[in-house]
Amino acid sequence: MTHDLIPFLVRRALFALVLVVVVSSGALVLARLAPGDFVTEQVGQGADLATLAAERARLGLDRPVAASWAEWIGAAARLDFGVSFRYGRPVAGLVAERTGNTLLLAVAALGAATAIGLPLGVFAARRPRTAAAALVRAASFAALSVPPLVLALLLAWLAARTGWLPTGGMGRAAAADAGLAGRAFDLARHLVLPALALALPVGATLERLATRALAGALAEPCVAAARARGLDEGRLAWRHALRLAAAPVVAVYGLVAGGLLSGSFAVEVVTAWPGLGRLFYEALVARDVPLVAGCAAASAALVALATLAADAAAAWADPRVAQGGAA
Amino acid sequence: MSTARSLPRALLVAGALLLLSIGLAVWLLRGAGRVDAPPARPGGGTLTATVRSEPRSFNRLVAIDRTSALVAQLTHARLVRVNLATHEVEPYLAERWTRDDDGLTWVLELAREARFSDGTPCTADDVVFSARAALDPRVKSPLAPALTIGGEPLVVESRGAHTVVVRFPSPYGPGLRLLDALPILPRHRLEAALEAGTLREAWSVTTPPAELAGLGPFVLEEYRAGEHLVFARNPHYFRKDERGQALPYLDRLVLTVVPSQDAEILRLEAGETDLVTDMVRAEDLARVRRLAAAGQLALHDLGVALDSDFLVFNLGPGAPRSGPRAWLTRRELRHAVSMAVDRQRFVDTVFLGAAVPVGGPVTPANRRWFDPSVPVPAYDPERAAALLSGVGLRDRDGDGWLEQPDGRPARFTLVTQKGNTVRERGAVVVQEALAAVGLGVDVVTLEQPAVIDRLMKGQYDAIHFGSLASDTDPASHLDYWLSRGAFHPWHPGQASPATEWEARIDALMARQVATVDPVARREIFFEVQGIFAEQLPAIYFAAPRVHVAMSARVGGARPAVLNPMVLWNAERLSVR
Repeated sequence: MTHDLIPFLVRRALFALVLVVVVSSGALVLARLAPGDFVTEQVGQGADLATLAAERARLGLDRPVAASWAEWIGAAARLDFGVSFRYGRPVAGLVAERTGNTLLLAVAALGAATAIGLPLGVFAARRPRTAAAALVRAASFAALSVPPLVLALLLAWLAARTGWLPTGGMGRAAAADAGLAGRAFDLARHLVLPALALALPVGATLERLATRALAGALAEPCVAAARARGLDEGRLAWRHALRLAAAPVVAVYGLVAGGLLSGSFAVEVVTAWPGLGRLFYEALVARDVPLVAGCAAASAALVALATLAADAAAAWADPRVAQGGAA
Repeated sequence: MSTARSLPRALLVAGALLLLSIGLAVWLLRGAGRVDAPPARPGGGTLTATVRSEPRSFNRLVAIDRTSALVAQLTHARLVRVNLATHEVEPYLAERWTRDDDGLTWVLELAREARFSDGTPCTADDVVFSARAALDPRVKSPLAPALTIGGEPLVVESRGAHTVVVRFPSPYGPGLRLLDALPILPRHRLEAALEAGTLREAWSVTTPPAELAGLGPFVLEEYRAGEHLVFARNPHYFRKDERGQALPYLDRLVLTVVPSQDAEILRLEAGETDLVTDMVRAEDLARVRRLAAAGQLALHDLGVALDSDFLVFNLGPGAPRSGPRAWLTRRELRHAVSMAVDRQRFVDTVFLGAAVPVGGPVTPANRRWFDPSVPVPAYDPERAAALLSGVGLRDRDGDGWLEQPDGRPARFTLVTQKGNTVRERGAVVVQEALAAVGLGVDVVTLEQPAVIDRLMKGQYDAIHFGSLASDTDPASHLDYWLSRGAFHPWHPGQASPATEWEARIDALMARQVATVDPVARREIFFEVQGIFAEQLPAIYFAAPRVHVAMSARVGGARPAVLNPMVLWNAERLSVR
């Protein structure tokens, strides 16, 4: 199994690298070609045309797009992603600090989605024709049809009305004096709302997938044999059928991670979560070309890594995946 | 006898009642006064406000974004400042000043007790250094144009430790007003960077707060990227209130970064922030009014805004000056559009009633410079139709829509800013109003940089856009008024005035800026507004009423229509 898995993972890693290069290069070129540039925001603030032209030259915006790209890719190969126009800081540092925040949010959301989606999926698969299963199905469809942006606004509104949770942010300024435990608690409270906004649609996806996969697994002869041996239904579902149904569910985690990243764009803006999605959005609006490219590279790398991890998990769970990939 | 005995008792009761009434009145008046009065002793406490974006730098000389400007306002003093409530220049670091007989030289006396937040005394050398840094070509400061008059920089010199001499290269009407733009920076901290040519990079957002120093009421204590900025009171702040009490009143001020305006209002509602730094949007007003009625918030109606959105037709090199679409550049078209739009409907639909109809770029809020004799154009679709007919646009096939002289439909594209609900709604109202007179409009929404790009390159038929006033004085908006200006929206950056009337406005504005007599300046600017109303290069429909909301626990606020609306006098804010 290990013999098949290593070349499979190497190929996937190379593909991930190509993906990162293509996505970040595309983002850079599109940000340069899009109408308007970083300097246009100074229009109307007293700057004259000569000042605007000098600023464009200073930022390299007067150079051809191909030359800008060539310079950027050469520097990026040395892990130098340039300096953000907006913040005057190296892009690598900016992106790294925000990526950590987004990873924390994504992991929390994925954890919450798993905790919500899988048990509901098992429940609905075991009792397919009950009113409760119909209710779970309806709730899943509702969660799937509401975009994370609307969900975030709805949850923030609920938080504002009830006062149960903070409406946004990553922590209170006053929490700095609260000690480690106090800060952790404060962070956890602030994490609930954006994580839920991201987790509910993902949880619904997992529920739908788990319900179908498990329904198929529960009909497998080996499960029927186990049932005939008098195994408890709950244990049968959680211990045996779920393992059989794991491959498609695990495989979808890679895609789900991509969905979480794209969803985090809107959720991070609405809930003021200082993550990569918000940084990317702000960079796009400001036409901060180096930061756009850096954020795109980080996003692509995260999606590629998540997909790679999901592929590795799927290959580990079912060696035929790696062999199929090798074929 | 009984009457004689009961009289003192009655007097006693009356006296007691009188004392009680006086006591009650005093108590009630104290309660009423408490809303805006500063606390009797330094109040302390923490005030939280939201900002929409992060600061780009802690170096005000290189950052012009709103949050960086706000940080500079909180942490640095200027020689003088414009009081945003009265729009008058008032002392700040300079306690008093005189003007020499030549009218060009100002002598300013600095506050002798002024110290930077690190305890170092501030002297005239710091002022000279700050001006030198702002005007140094290596710094490429966006503040430099504000410190030049007619292309020539101000000359700032020291005359002793606490006296500064400022020489204007030529007469300048607004006088010391322009010094409001110059933050006074600590020479001892930044001179080495200026000499080394690295001042542009100094005091970035990664600089530890302990390395920053300023003369402002607050010092930056903590910055968490993407989250918040925490300011502590500057223990060395040199200003005191009228009772000799040290300023600022607050112990801490926290600016939380909340990029979404929807989320800002939710935070205000939840009590997570004390104030938002922007005006309340028309669509949020009903909700905020309910919260204010419930005592949760204080809502201030500041009156009409100083700026409003406009519609411009392309009059630049890309405009169709000849051929079948030449009507797009005709003055009659602009007047027809102005008359075809019912401004009251615009107010009711776009601003949900919270606005007033206007006819030009200077709104009634700008009391000193607004010319009341320039009328707001009346809604007159018949006259609009006649004007359109006069430029050759007629319904030639009887389908209800106008055609050009070549028989093709008379239509134009109106570009506006995506995501700006006021501008999007405004474009739709214009589209519907012009459809009623048979003129077709295709609305296209683009992101702000793309709109500005089209404006600068002249790649559009018409644009519905706006700008933000930074001051009431017209001299601070020369990039709008002058034909060479970068934000002369209908035809920016002209090498020489393209039209006779723009040449007249250029000459008048040059005279207006160079005239010192305020009455004469006003008359000249009224003449400019008259030419503008006649030519109508930009069409204005309505100016919003500005509402500011804050927590009911905030005291000492004097909200203003200019930014930063509440925090401009942060030193006098308090919390209960």
